[in-house]
Amino acid sequence: MPADITDQALEFLLARSGLALTDAEKAELKQVYAGIAAMTERVRQPRGRMAELAHVYNFTEEDLA
Amino acid sequence: MTAAIPTIAEAARLIAAKRLSPVELTQACLERVHALDDRLHAFVHLTEARALAEAKLAEAAIMAGGPKGPLHGVPIGLKDIVDTKGIPTTCGSKILQDNIPDADATCAELLAAAGTVLIGKTQTHEFADGGPSFDLPRPPARNPWHTDHFTAGSSSGTGAGIAAGLVLGGIGTDTGGSIRGPAALCGIAGIKPTYGLVSRAGVAPAAFSLDHIGPMAWTAEDCALMLQALAGHDPRDPASADRPVPDYTAALGSGVKGLKIGVIHHFHEVDYKVTDGVRRGIDAAIATFRGLGAEIREVQVSPLQDWGACGSLISICERAAAYEEWARTRLRDFSERVQRRLMLGALVSGVDYVQAVRRRRELRAELKAAMAGLDVVLTASQIGEAPKIDDVPAWDTFAAPSFTMPFNVTGYPAITVCSGFGAGGLPVAIQLVAKPFAEPTVLRVADAFEKATPFRNTRPALT
Repeated sequence: MPADITDQALEFLLARSGLALTDAEKAELKQVYAGIAAMTERVRQPRGRMAELAHVYNFTEEDLA
Repeated sequence: MTAAIPTIAEAARLIAAKRLSPVELTQACLERVHALDDRLHAFVHLTEARALAEAKLAEAAIMAGGPKGPLHGVPIGLKDIVDTKGIPTTCGSKILQDNIPDADATCAELLAAAGTVLIGKTQTHEFADGGPSFDLPRPPARNPWHTDHFTAGSSSGTGAGIAAGLVLGGIGTDTGGSIRGPAALCGIAGIKPTYGLVSRAGVAPAAFSLDHIGPMAWTAEDCALMLQALAGHDPRDPASADRPVPDYTAALGSGVKGLKIGVIHHFHEVDYKVTDGVRRGIDAAIATFRGLGAEIREVQVSPLQDWGACGSLISICERAAAYEEWARTRLRDFSERVQRRLMLGALVSGVDYVQAVRRRRELRAELKAAMAGLDVVLTASQIGEAPKIDDVPAWDTFAAPSFTMPFNVTGYPAITVCSGFGAGGLPVAIQLVAKPFAEPTVLRVADAFEKATPFRNTRPALT
C-alpha cells in the first residue's frame, strides 16, 4: 500500500463511505494516510492463503435445536 | 469520610459490623461531589434522590439481616455508555442527549442486585472514543491529582471520581485501554477482564470484538469484589463466556512466592521508550516482586507497533460499521475528535480488516506461547504521567503505540495498578496480564504489589 494517496483516490474512498468532508478535512486525512498505510503493512505477514481469521464462524447448540 | 475515604473492602467490613452507615457514606460521597465536581467534571448526571433512597433501603436491610454481600450499601458510578433504566444515558454525545433507556445494561443490573448505591453516570469520551473533547455538551473530566491534566479515557469520569473519593468504585469499558488508561493516570486500579467474562449487553459498542466491561476502584482487592458481582454468562451478549465463576478474592493475601512473572522489557525500552518515572516504577515493581519471592523471566513477543496496528485497524473498522448511519447522516453532531476517528474508516479496506483479523490470530498464538510456564506478564501501562489536557494530539491514533491494546487484541485479562509517582508528582502505573480467565491470579499479584508498596496510602490533595 503506497504511503500517500491521490486526491482522486481519496475522493473515491470518501464517496464510497458516504462521508461528506470539507477540503480541510480531506487535507488532514491525506496527511495521516501514511499512518494507516503503515498499519496495513504491519498486519500483512507471509502467511499463505490457508491462515484463518481470529474469529471463525461456528454453530451453537441453539442453532442445532 | 473526608479524612479517610474507605476502600470498598474497608467499607464492607465496617458496614457488616454496623459501624458505618450506608446512608452516611452515600451522603459523604455526595458532599464530595458537590464540593469538587465543578472542577473535576467526573459526573454527567447525578442520581442523588435514587442514591439516598437506595442507601436507606440498604441500611434498613443490613440492620435487619446483615449485608447480602460486600457491595451492599457501597456508592458507585456507571460510565455513561452503560444503559440505565429511566436514567439518561448520553454516551457523552449530542446525538443521545435525550436518550433514556427502558432497560438496564446487564452490568448495571448486576451491581444493583449486589446492593450498590448509584451516585450517578460518569463522564466518558464520546461513545468511548477520542477525547478530551471541548465541543460536547459537557466538559471533559479532569485529573484529581492536577486539574490541568488529562485523565486518559475513555472511562475518564469513573477514573477521576474514584481517585477523588466521589465514589468507591465504578464501571469502565475498555476497547484499547479505556479502563487501564484512566486507572494509570488517575492512580487507581482497573481491570479489563478476559473477553466474554463480563457481559457487554446494554453497553454502547466501540468496537465489538475488542470491547470489554470491567471494574475500576482504588485497589485491586476492590476490583475483585466488584468483578465477583459482574462475572458470569449472559445470553444477551453473543460473546459471553459460559464458564463457572471462581472466587476472585480467595487467593488475595497469599502473596506471589513461587509465581513466575514474565517482563516484556522491549515494549517500553525498545519499541517505544516510556518516561523515566514509568521506567523507575517498572524496575521497582520487578524488584518488589523478586523480593516477595516471585521468579522473574524475560518475555519476547512481536514489537508493540504490530499489536497496535492490528488493534487499531480492527477498531477503526468495527467502530465505523457500528456508527456508519450516523456518520453518514449526522457527522457534524459528533465531536471533532470522533469525526476524525470515523473518517479513518473510509481509508481501511475490507481486505485490510481481514488481514488484521488474521494477524490477530497469530498474535494471540504468540502470546499464548510466550506465557507458557508463566503466571503473569508485567508491562508498562502508559507512556508517562498524565499530559496537560490541552496537549493531547488531535490524531492520537498515530501519536504513539498503546501499551494496553495488545491485551484487547488477545482478550487476555489485564490490570493496571499504581506504581508510584513521576517527576511531575502525578501517578505512574504498571500493567499485569494473566492467561484467559485467570483473573484470580492477576488480582492476587496486583493485590500483593499494592500491599507491599505505599502507593495506596496517598490520595489526591483535593480540598
